[in-house]
Amino acid sequence: MTQLKDKAPLGKVIVITSGKGGVGKTTSAAAIAAALAKRGHKTVVIDFDVGLRNLDMIMGCERRVVFDFINVIQGEARLKQALIRDKRLDTLWILPTSQTRDKDALTQEGVEKVLNELKEQFDYIICDSPAGIERGAQLAMYFADEAVVVTNPEVSSVRDSDRVLGLLASKTKRAESEGTEVKAQVLLTRHDQRRIDAGEMMTIEDVLEILAVPLLGVIPESPAILRASNVGMPVVLDEPSAAGRSYETAVARLLGEDVDMHMEGEKRPGFFSRLFGASA
Amino acid sequence: MDPFQVRGRFLTALAIRIDVDKPDASFFAALEDKIRTASNLLVGAPIVLDLEPVPNLVDRDLLREVITAIKSKGLLLFGVQNANEEQRALAEAFGLIPVQIGRDAPAHKVRSDAPARTRGLARVENKIITKHVRSGQMIVAERGDLTVIGSVASGAEVVASGNIHIYGTLRGRAMAGANGDASARIFCRQLEAELLAVAGLFKTSETIDTDLRRCSVQVFLEDETLCIERVE
Repeated sequence: MTQLKDKAPLGKVIVITSGKGGVGKTTSAAAIAAALAKRGHKTVVIDFDVGLRNLDMIMGCERRVVFDFINVIQGEARLKQALIRDKRLDTLWILPTSQTRDKDALTQEGVEKVLNELKEQFDYIICDSPAGIERGAQLAMYFADEAVVVTNPEVSSVRDSDRVLGLLASKTKRAESEGTEVKAQVLLTRHDQRRIDAGEMMTIEDVLEILAVPLLGVIPESPAILRASNVGMPVVLDEPSAAGRSYETAVARLLGEDVDMHMEGEKRPGFFSRLFGASA
Repeated sequence: MDPFQVRGRFLTALAIRIDVDKPDASFFAALEDKIRTASNLLVGAPIVLDLEPVPNLVDRDLLREVITAIKSKGLLLFGVQNANEEQRALAEAFGLIPVQIGRDAPAHKVRSDAPARTRGLARVENKIITKHVRSGQMIVAERGDLTVIGSVASGAEVVASGNIHIYGTLRGRAMAGANGDASARIFCRQLEAELLAVAGLFKTSETIDTDLRRCSVQVFLEDETLCIERVE
């Protein structure tokens, strides 16, 4: 592998987490990783959901898995053997997990060792957390520098996200040994303005008032996402769609760019500028 | 797979303590009066009968009368505590469960020994939390007031032996006067609480007046009743 850039890789670890299942963590992890890679950042996405591996399917590389994350942790394979290079983007890599083991196969030392090795080669390391707040989820967030908390605009998802924000502030390496915080932002997925207008879903303001962390982006409910998962394509690499564009905007903001969020089909154009302050 | 699961459950119950050996007409009148004035607190709440002060109350008919009087007013009496052997046998015959409870804290009983307890303590330790209290977190100020500059999320718990001040929205549970201090109060900027308690007397979101939702309030005890009052 040739290193195109002269400077050392950034080595930033970002966890995609939520607490609740089915809110779109894996879809978001795949889309965010692909969007970062598309911008030329060398990115790897790791599946922490040991025993329920899905990321490889969303990424469309399930038939290329030979060795996995657990094999590397247990010393049965080298990291190089387990990393799968994406066929569409040469800056994107996948570290799949095992379908046959369970979360007990993850050890803190093992995860740290693999992440440290990845930090030497990659700009961004995206950790796709399993649902829940048990071992798998805790280890996925433990070494993170930043967190993206995926939330649906409904009460149980928001409450679980709040719980996860509490864990990010206390049960991470940064919190425990460095006394610094993991920077956490909310990614609101499955947003459906019609259902919000009908009073069936929480508004973005309500969600942000409860969670009290910055909003990274809003991803509309979209058939494009289901379609993309079924063909094993991250939504940002698939045909142009509102959801794909929303993920690209979210990633631009994740990289610290001052991008205004605007939603397609948004009925109240002034809304986002009200939330984030006007930007040119 | 098992057809059922066994899980731990904590249950908050109210205790009615009998202080007279031979409940008479005035006892029943007082009981009825109490149930009527505090019906929103008592009705629907799980209740145990505390027999600690009355080891001699072993008259089958009298005990039956007490139990009937409580149950007939719609109170969910389910057990007895601090019962002696004879009382326990009677209670079981009436379908009540003997409950083992380490220590109860009715307001007036603690009031007398709370000063003795505080006298031994070196100093008050107030606690200030400058962040949001997230769901699943529990913050306890064991010896003093608790101030939260932020909100308390649904599923979070804040507990203090003294007062609780919340400069944000209270969506979770707040328990002031946790060691029995009946003069403790809870203050919050916006009330959407799941539970409010002062010295063990509590109200849940179901029993909190809906007109007070989202208001700035203070919560305190008056005549052993939990009062919620708007503060502007």
